[in-house]
Amino acid sequence: MIFSKAFLIQTAGSAVAVLILTGIAAWARLAKPMPILDEAAARQYFTQDFPASKIDQIWISDDGRGAVARSGDLALVLFVAGDGYIARHLTWDQAMAARPVNGQVVISFHDIAAPRGQLAFATWPLTPGI
Amino acid sequence: MLHAPFDPVTLAVPFFVLAIILEIALARLGWVKTHYETRDTLTSLAMGLGRGIPGVLLGGMIFAATVFVYQHRIFTVPFEAIWGWVAIFFLEDLTYYWFHRLSHERRFWWAAHVNHHTSQHYNLSTALRQTWTGGIAGTWSLWLPLAWLGFSPAQIAIQQGISLVYQFWIHTEAIGRMPTWFEAVMNTPSHHRVHHARNPRYLDSNYAGILIIWDKLFGTFQAELDEEPCRYGIVKNLGDFKLLRVAFHEWLGIFADLARSKSIHEVLGYVLGPPGWSPDGSRDTSASLKTKWRELHRPTE
Repeated sequence: MIFSKAFLIQTAGSAVAVLILTGIAAWARLAKPMPILDEAAARQYFTQDFPASKIDQIWISDDGRGAVARSGDLALVLFVAGDGYIARHLTWDQAMAARPVNGQVVISFHDIAAPRGQLAFATWPLTPGI
Repeated sequence: MLHAPFDPVTLAVPFFVLAIILEIALARLGWVKTHYETRDTLTSLAMGLGRGIPGVLLGGMIFAATVFVYQHRIFTVPFEAIWGWVAIFFLEDLTYYWFHRLSHERRFWWAAHVNHHTSQHYNLSTALRQTWTGGIAGTWSLWLPLAWLGFSPAQIAIQQGISLVYQFWIHTEAIGRMPTWFEAVMNTPSHHRVHHARNPRYLDSNYAGILIIWDKLFGTFQAELDEEPCRYGIVKNLGDFKLLRVAFHEWLGIFADLARSKSIHEVLGYVLGPPGWSPDGSRDTSASLKTKWRELHRPTE
């Protein structure tokens, strides 16, 4: 037998400890505050992840938990995972080809590390200049 | 001695648990600054828990290889000798430095190590976000020269465990800076925060295990700067908390890149180049990010 009885008991005990610690972490409510994004905050995030990109325009999502920026032919996308923001880019046309469903737009990035991001936009595609 | 009479990591598990509870409690009371996000915490702890399975599956093979090399050793270091423990303290830590540097600067080994850096948080649970594929990546072979020099497999395993236990407590924002003399010699929360940061100026620095002297010696040291708070995670953070994505995403990325490779040069670049390498330079490496950062922050004349 590959896994000894002692290993299995130890693993089971550790699994219980993992659940207890996670429960304590949840109870403590120590997640990072996630204030509603405004344009300045979104620009700061975009600048951190795309320092060399010139941002033409920014759209904040309807729930303030995501944003899209246009940078030339590119769409820079910011969306939430947990209490942090994830940034990705793709071509503007690819991003605008996403279909909104019930006010939510799911953008595919073709990236195994972040296959898709969800943003609340009732109006889609976005129109530059508006 | 071949088998270690004790495992420092196993012995330290209760300390790990209590320390995490203490960090959460102090943060809850507002006495220290730290953040815990539930899914992030579960992911970190589950990665630590799951690490044991590949450890069992590959542990025998790694142990056998170490014993084989030890049987062909050039010296014999007595297990009880104090000088032997002093020597292995430095030699193991030097080995760890190069293992860690390799694990960041070459994509094949980064694929095994990246999961440890995938949290956007920096707390004690992050320390337990351990690799599941380190054994497959073969970095354990870097420790074989210690066996060849005459350190027993047991002594090597114990010192590796001591190093891992030491590195647990430095994964915290709750401790600012240690006394100056300590910061000068030892790896500390401040130094390791820099290592976990994704700010371009902090990338690929502070690879130390226990002693920070190796980074100072080999030119990879970067002090934590008050004007540049650390932002944690990887250059392109993960889009969710799925365990399999955390453990295997970079491996899958390598396979996808290899599938579209057009030459041996590209194959070698994708596997052995720095993370982010691409034939046309369209992706960012740590070096290119640092260059862009320097360009943007160049003093204006």
